[in-house]
Amino acid sequence: MLNALIIDDEMPAREVLRELLQATGEIEVLGECANAIDALGAIYRLRPDVVFLDIQMPRISGLELVGMIEAEVLPHVVFVTAFDEFALQAFDEQAIDYLLKPVDPARLTRTVARLRQMRSAPAAARVLASATTPLRQIPCIGHNRVFLLPVDEVEYLCSETTGVRVVGVRQSGVTELALKIIESRTAFFRCHRQYLVNPDHISELVFAETGTCEIHTRSGKRLPVSRRHLRDVKDFLSLP
Amino acid sequence: MELNTIALMSSLFQQMCVYLVVAYALTKTPLFMPLMQVSVRLPHKVLCYVIFSGFCILGTYLGQEVDGAIANTRATGAVIGGIMGGPVVGLLVGFTGGIHRYSLGGFTGLACALSTMAEGLLAGCVHRYLFQRERTALLLSPRLLFCVTLLAEVIQMLIILAVARPYDRALHLVSQIALPMILTNSVGAALFMRLILDRRENMEKYSIAFSAKALRIAERSVGLLLKGFDADSCKLLARIVREETGVGAVAITDCEKLLAFTGIGEDHHIPGSPIASEHTFLAISRNEVVYADGNEVPYRCSISRDCQLGAALIIPLRGEENRVIGTIKLYEPRRRIFTKLNRTLGEGIARLLSTQILIGKYEEQKQLLIHSEYKLLQAQVNPHFLFNALNTIAAIIRTDPNRARTLVANLSSFFRTSLKRNSVEVSLRDELAQIDAYLQIEQARFGARLSVCYSISEELLPARLPTFTLQPLVENAIKYGVSQMLSPGHIHIGGERTAGGGLHLFVEDNAGLFEEYDSPGDGLGMNIVDRRIKIRHGENYGVSVECEPGIRTRVSVLTPFVEA
Repeated sequence: MLNALIIDDEMPAREVLRELLQATGEIEVLGECANAIDALGAIYRLRPDVVFLDIQMPRISGLELVGMIEAEVLPHVVFVTAFDEFALQAFDEQAIDYLLKPVDPARLTRTVARLRQMRSAPAAARVLASATTPLRQIPCIGHNRVFLLPVDEVEYLCSETTGVRVVGVRQSGVTELALKIIESRTAFFRCHRQYLVNPDHISELVFAETGTCEIHTRSGKRLPVSRRHLRDVKDFLSLP
Repeated sequence: MELNTIALMSSLFQQMCVYLVVAYALTKTPLFMPLMQVSVRLPHKVLCYVIFSGFCILGTYLGQEVDGAIANTRATGAVIGGIMGGPVVGLLVGFTGGIHRYSLGGFTGLACALSTMAEGLLAGCVHRYLFQRERTALLLSPRLLFCVTLLAEVIQMLIILAVARPYDRALHLVSQIALPMILTNSVGAALFMRLILDRRENMEKYSIAFSAKALRIAERSVGLLLKGFDADSCKLLARIVREETGVGAVAITDCEKLLAFTGIGEDHHIPGSPIASEHTFLAISRNEVVYADGNEVPYRCSISRDCQLGAALIIPLRGEENRVIGTIKLYEPRRRIFTKLNRTLGEGIARLLSTQILIGKYEEQKQLLIHSEYKLLQAQVNPHFLFNALNTIAAIIRTDPNRARTLVANLSSFFRTSLKRNSVEVSLRDELAQIDAYLQIEQARFGARLSVCYSISEELLPARLPTFTLQPLVENAIKYGVSQMLSPGHIHIGGERTAGGGLHLFVEDNAGLFEEYDSPGDGLGMNIVDRRIKIRHGENYGVSVECEPGIRTRVSVLTPFVEA
């Protein structure tokens, strides 16, 4: 049995796909998500083998979602969409398969067969999403709500036990996105093992007598620079 | 002595009368046209020289012999020549007149020749003086002419005294002729100038009357041809042209047939019948005005022998790229002939109508473009909507067959209405029914993510709207609003009458994403809705958008409140 997650913003579509998948007898549906932000958390939490992913969803499309997940965590992706205008791009994102709505049960059987083969193949053969497009916004969970924080408003990110804290000029939240993904998809750089800073928000680099160093942001927040990353920080800011 | 002077003066005034009659006759010829203003260009100066030299010589011939000399009105020609043409023309006119006088002999021959040249030169210098000070308008003043001629004649007398010998005889002559000649020449020159001015004023009056008529026709016919160059619009137009010009009859044709006819001979010039007149074919093929005036070019109605029309002016109407698209024909009955005024006016009207036809074509193109943009908009929206609807129905059909059946009915109603809609207007009731069919399907698709409420009172429902006014706004509220929301979406459709007799309708969503999606600034296709309303009802009506980012987008439509 393969574990699957269904991600689609339309409930009727999720229901019919769940029914069809269960009918194959080879897929167990772990859950359903109605948008990309919920899906991000669910993927990390449930670690499905495969996601059936709608492309057109509110704010963050299925294609964008794939780019937000670390390679090690990324499950197999089967895109499900009503319009085939996305087909080429979907295969660029290295999906395993591509289904058109309304889903034809016979066509779905072939997809499941392909998934079965993939599973028996060695791990190296597993295709991984290539991070192509830069990240424009970071999906965050705040108090009782989810929201999207534009990348240029973010001052820094900090990895904590509860998740990655995103600190913006006006608002902050916690994201399911890994620091590594954000680092590779934005101009942010590491100043500390747990910190990622947006260079556009740095106002000064302050050296203390003890030899430690801090970055001050424009809005006055302070974050540590570790010895190991000091060289990188100086290089980044073109300092000697 | 006293008696002599009076007799001479009356004789000179008689000369002046003949002189002025000749001048008056001349003002009626086209030759005189350039002389009605101060001559600046060479051909005009030459003409000026020839004509006023003629007047100079005429003055000498008409003169009366007094003591072996000639009392005359020669000075008038030289002075006016100088005033109108400048120093060179003045001097040449004086020279020509002088030589002519010299050739006639007499003891004052040389003195008179010299003085005529001096007079022409003097007037020419006045011309130059005023010209350089940019006061040329003053040159045409009869008073100035009077003064200059007066001065010129005084100088002439002095020259005679200085040059003519024997002196005693010259003195005697001058004492006899000085007063009459100075007076008659000065008055004559002033009257001559008055003649020129009168002719000018007359011309201006004509062109004012012409402009006023053309403007009245323009005013009355504006917008008439916007609907196209066809029989209906031409009929009205022909009537307007006839009323304003007062000609016997007016016809408008395209290149094959008569489109409209009004006036004398209406009984046998039937609109729709093919063109029969040779003159009309000529006007069309040569693209020029054909004037059959009934005298030099005979005109006879090509349809009926009893037709009273005896003259026709046929003017081609020009459309794009100056191509002939028809003619306008002005007729006069046999007993009347065209005045020159009507001919010029006819040409003016043709130009005016040609322009209006072009504007009409342009409007037609614009309407076509907007119509096709609409079709495009429809074509863009509907396939996606259809796909989504079918997928929703396919998904629901197993779990809730009854609901699926209702949705198919909604879908079919939506498309049937869309296809049927060819009229320009629709009632608000029908537009809302269409929107409801659309939203039923979207609600099935989005489930709890979409709620809709209406606040439109019953009395507004009969209002007329341009087709596809609210529909695109609701589609936008779904596409760029609710479907992009992570939290539940809400659409509010409302309407009210405004204080100014308008109808205000709005579609509001709680997404507030308009500005984010409208980055190209094309209004998400609502510009077309806006333009269509503005074209129909003017700039005070149309579409407006309020957006509070993340909170709400409200798109409002303002149209006049018109009930079916």
